[in-house]
Amino acid sequence: MENYVEMLFEPINNFWKNFFSFLPNLLVMLFVFFIGFLFAWIVRAVVLRVFKVINFDSWCDRVGLTAIIRKGDVWSKPSEVFGLVIFWFLVILFLMIGLSALQLKTIDNLIAQFFLYIPRAFSAILIIIAGYIFTGFLSRAVLIAAVNSGYHYARILAEAVRLLLLVLILSMAFEQLQIAPGIVIAAFSIIFGGIVLSMAIAFGVGGIDAAKRIIEGGGEEKKEGKNEKDKDIEHL
Amino acid sequence: MDKADIIVGIASFNNSKTIGHVIKAVDAGLMKYFPDKKAIIVNSDGGSVDGTPDIVRTVTHDHALIFLSHSVYPAHRISIPYNGIPGKGSAFRAIFQKAVEMKADSCCVVDADLRSITPEWMELLLSPLVKDGFDFVAPLYSRHKYDGTITNSIVYPMTRALYGKRIRQPIGGEFGFSGRLAEFYLKQDVWESHVARFGIDIWMTTEAIANDFRTCQTFLGAKIHDPKDPGADLGDMLVQVVVTLFNLTEKHFDKWEKISGSMDVPTFGFRYHVGLEPVKVNVDRMLDIFKTGIRDLKEIWMKILGPGDFGEVEVIGSDTGKRFRFPHGLWTRIIYDYSKAYHRRVMSSEHLIRSLIPLYLGKTASFIMEVEDIDQDGAEGMIENLCLEFEGGKDYLINNWG
Repeated sequence: MENYVEMLFEPINNFWKNFFSFLPNLLVMLFVFFIGFLFAWIVRAVVLRVFKVINFDSWCDRVGLTAIIRKGDVWSKPSEVFGLVIFWFLVILFLMIGLSALQLKTIDNLIAQFFLYIPRAFSAILIIIAGYIFTGFLSRAVLIAAVNSGYHYARILAEAVRLLLLVLILSMAFEQLQIAPGIVIAAFSIIFGGIVLSMAIAFGVGGIDAAKRIIEGGGEEKKEGKNEKDKDIEHL
Repeated sequence: MDKADIIVGIASFNNSKTIGHVIKAVDAGLMKYFPDKKAIIVNSDGGSVDGTPDIVRTVTHDHALIFLSHSVYPAHRISIPYNGIPGKGSAFRAIFQKAVEMKADSCCVVDADLRSITPEWMELLLSPLVKDGFDFVAPLYSRHKYDGTITNSIVYPMTRALYGKRIRQPIGGEFGFSGRLAEFYLKQDVWESHVARFGIDIWMTTEAIANDFRTCQTFLGAKIHDPKDPGADLGDMLVQVVVTLFNLTEKHFDKWEKISGSMDVPTFGFRYHVGLEPVKVNVDRMLDIFKTGIRDLKEIWMKILGPGDFGEVEVIGSDTGKRFRFPHGLWTRIIYDYSKAYHRRVMSSEHLIRSLIPLYLGKTASFIMEVEDIDQDGAEGMIENLCLEFEGGKDYLINNWG
């Protein structure tokens, strides 16, 4: 009878034994997670204060970051959005550190992969932010220069430049994240090449007459243009 | 180095066609009007490849043909290459350095591409310094009513409204200045900015009046010079001049905030009307760029001007026929809005000022159509009205500066 009772309680005893050996790890995980949460909250508060001092929201307005956030239907201030991003990044980071305290093989593998991926994700975010700012700057420069040159399709030209650069930047970001790199490179080559080819054809077909005029009467046109310039007003 | 009483600076770059005439006129002017002064002609050259410095050193003139009685000796001449950013401002910096090194009492600068310079220009630019104790002499020219549009529509009205001095050609190009003002200029840390290029003229004028140097202007007659380098396009000139103007506006806020109205400055020289070459303008192209700007730069202009003034621009842009007029009040607010936008760093300064070009062309086209059938004095009256608008609207700038 005693043997039967022992057999019956053995799994329960084993469970309790395992549980009590696992419990400290669980408590460490919860402690790390709690500390991480607290740390993330403090960092968020400090970051918000710093952003306020340096007028981060105004800067975002100027460089167009606010506009990007609004396009994503987010209506909080940019400083709050960035504060939240930093907060959740730290929370997830501490969660991963806490989970590693559990010393479970499967979770350890997952955590290792997570930490290996962080630099890539960080690079991709940087590429997207810097790329977006650069794209906005360049397309605005093209727009203003085209308008000042009297080009009637200035906005289309500026949007084409913006589109080309966005395709390039997104491809770079995806490639960095290693999301289907083969497909990304192939898709990028096809899209980018297609856009350039279609623009070349459009310019080529549309510009036949202009090219013909330049080749046939270039000398005269140049001479006429120079005379025109000589008689023009002095702005200074 | 020996002391010089007078230094005449000539900034040059590939001006072999005209610099000989300029040197002869300067030389003769110094001999005629300042025979007892030790004068040096300093050519600050930007690396000419057409022999400009050689002409400076070798050009001669038979002075017996113009001076009948007294024996004269030509002023000493030196030609120096300047360092730094290529441009007029860097060339002037080398001249200021020379003036300080040689402890010059009075200096002046003239362009190397002038065709209309006469020996009298030396007297007109230097006498107020030598005889009357002024520190800064600005030029005053007879110009075609269509010429000098950046001066007439932006630089003169704004400088006059801000600093209260009616200096008609703040970016004229020819200036006289005392040795102590040259020393002041040289000490300023601006030589890596647009001041090193076309910004130098407005910078010299503004610093002189904002720092209470004794200022006057002198009538030189007509200014005729070689056609400008085609590479020096409107956009670059506008950016260099207007960015410098706005930088100075920021720097001297404490001074101009307290000034209201404006007053004449002493004017030397005998004013007369000069027959000027006709100028051909393409108003249709200006208006076309203005209209394209309204359509395509809406987002940028809304950010700078706000919906009210942009709405007004849209309204006037809807009829660009013969009756097209750009109101003075609207133009004044636009320039003040751009000044504020620059102060608040709304966008890169290059983009900001280049986005002003279609508006500037619209204003210029309107001015040309308005003065088409009136004489020079009538056109001057229109500019006077614009200046009064700038003076009257100054509170708008002060109240929104922040």
